[in-house]
Amino acid sequence: MNPSRRLLLVAFGVAAVQIGVLGWMIAGRAMILRSGNDVMLQVQPVDPRDLLRGDYVRLAYNISSLPRELFGDTLQDADPGEFTVYVRLASDADGIWQPVAARYGSPPEAAPEARHIDIRGTADYSPAADMETISVDYGIERFYLPEGEGREIEEGIRERRFRMLVAVARDGTAQIKAFYDGDTPIHSEPLY
Amino acid sequence: MRLQEGSGETAVAGYLSKLSKDIARWQAEGLIDEATAAALLRDVQSRPGGVRFGSVLAILAAVLVGAALLLLIAANWEAFPRLLRVVLIVAGILAGYLGGAYLKNRGHDHFGEALWLLAAVTFGAGIGLVGQMYHLSGDETQAILVWCAGTALAAIALRSHPLTVGAVLLAGGWLLMVATESGRGDHVPPSYLALAAVLWAVSLWTASTAARHLILLSLMLYVVLVYLDSEGLVAPILLAAVSAAAFAWGAAQPQQSERIVKLGGGLPVQGLLGFIAGMSIVQFEYYEERSFLLVAIIVFAGVVAALVLAGRESRMLRWLAYAAFIYELGFVYVTLIGTMLGTAGFFLAAGLVLAAIAIVITRIERRVAGSAAGEGRA
Repeated sequence: MNPSRRLLLVAFGVAAVQIGVLGWMIAGRAMILRSGNDVMLQVQPVDPRDLLRGDYVRLAYNISSLPRELFGDTLQDADPGEFTVYVRLASDADGIWQPVAARYGSPPEAAPEARHIDIRGTADYSPAADMETISVDYGIERFYLPEGEGREIEEGIRERRFRMLVAVARDGTAQIKAFYDGDTPIHSEPLY
Repeated sequence: MRLQEGSGETAVAGYLSKLSKDIARWQAEGLIDEATAAALLRDVQSRPGGVRFGSVLAILAAVLVGAALLLLIAANWEAFPRLLRVVLIVAGILAGYLGGAYLKNRGHDHFGEALWLLAAVTFGAGIGLVGQMYHLSGDETQAILVWCAGTALAAIALRSHPLTVGAVLLAGGWLLMVATESGRGDHVPPSYLALAAVLWAVSLWTASTAARHLILLSLMLYVVLVYLDSEGLVAPILLAAVSAAAFAWGAAQPQQSERIVKLGGGLPVQGLLGFIAGMSIVQFEYYEERSFLLVAIIVFAGVVAALVLAGRESRMLRWLAYAAFIYELGFVYVTLIGTMLGTAGFFLAAGLVLAAIAIVITRIERRVAGSAAGEGRA
């Protein structure tokens, strides 16, 4: 093959690989939206001065800060270098999902009942740290908005009840699905 | 002088284009085979012919357009539905790589490389767009790593020098982000050393001297981050020792070391820089102790030794040594003498010392210039 045609082919190959990586990322997220289990979370305002960061609002949830008791005595056995946390959720009377158990490194030991869903997050502190509450990020702490729309939501969150519908994959990965102001969805995510 | 340099560049460019045509003709006539032709072309093109103005402009243009693209994504531009934005990104990647290859084939190397760089930036913008589409948070470091891997892959496949530099810069960005990330341990990732080794191999394949220099600089940054994280002096002392050894090797065996590290003769400069970086950290640590003076003497001795051993060959090394000397003087003044003299005294002392340094530098430069001219005549 002549060198110029080979260069074109190689360039096409590079483009295909990079596009493939993007496609794979999109497909993975769309898959969670399509087939994940839905949980409804209560949105809570975070650090009041610093909610709006350019083009997204930072969010915290009713499961963002977990009391130490939730981990039971699994904290002592956990690897000090472990930051991955699994939190077992169950729906309360209002339809908001609340944490019922949590563990570092692997899902809580007792087999989950049908009404339970395990969600995966990353803790801010190692299991060895002596903290009353352990804060956990689930990768859903940002909501991107068109420029200028953030301020309104930022103010709304302090006054009204906002909720977030989140899809949870079987491995515990969380994915934002729809954002509710009270009962009205303000943004809902299409698959693609 | 400037004009002469400019015409020299044009002459080089003319020689290159003539040689390229000759190589194509030899290949067509069957004098050389395809592999030889490609190897010859690569060798001719990888020759450092000075920084070419057109190349710099093309790369700058690519960086600017790329930055515009990233900002557009960041502004969450609602005028386009997001599926269309994905399509635009995909089209941008395809057009960038294929268009770059097309331009390279037509002999427009700089514009080809610039388009490839733009395509790699578009890939990064695509990763950002996916994060925005699905409201992902918390794994920016992983996103940068994927971007870096994609860029390195493109650099390998296309044997591109600018893409190699791009991958090295992204890796450095990743190192900084991981090391400064809040929470979760704040540790400097040892895996960066493996990443740097891989990128070094890539830079040998793509003949990117600049990438290798950047990797060495990033390793110095790594040592600084390790020191900030652990406050231990092992890493800085190791850096200073390895750098001194590298300097000695580069100064004593210029040809042998150049064959292996391929830094364009820059090994002694990197060695001196690493030595100063490492020793500076040690000095900060011994700031208020007696051994500070000992460390300062070692640094002065090192800088003077560097000047004597390798100063004649490299103007850059000489200026680095002068700068290091002044910096070290300032350091010693602030720690030791600063307490004894008043501000007026400081200005007087600084003025006298600077005048002395200026005289010494002028004499060294004149002597180097004189001996170079003497060699030229002989």
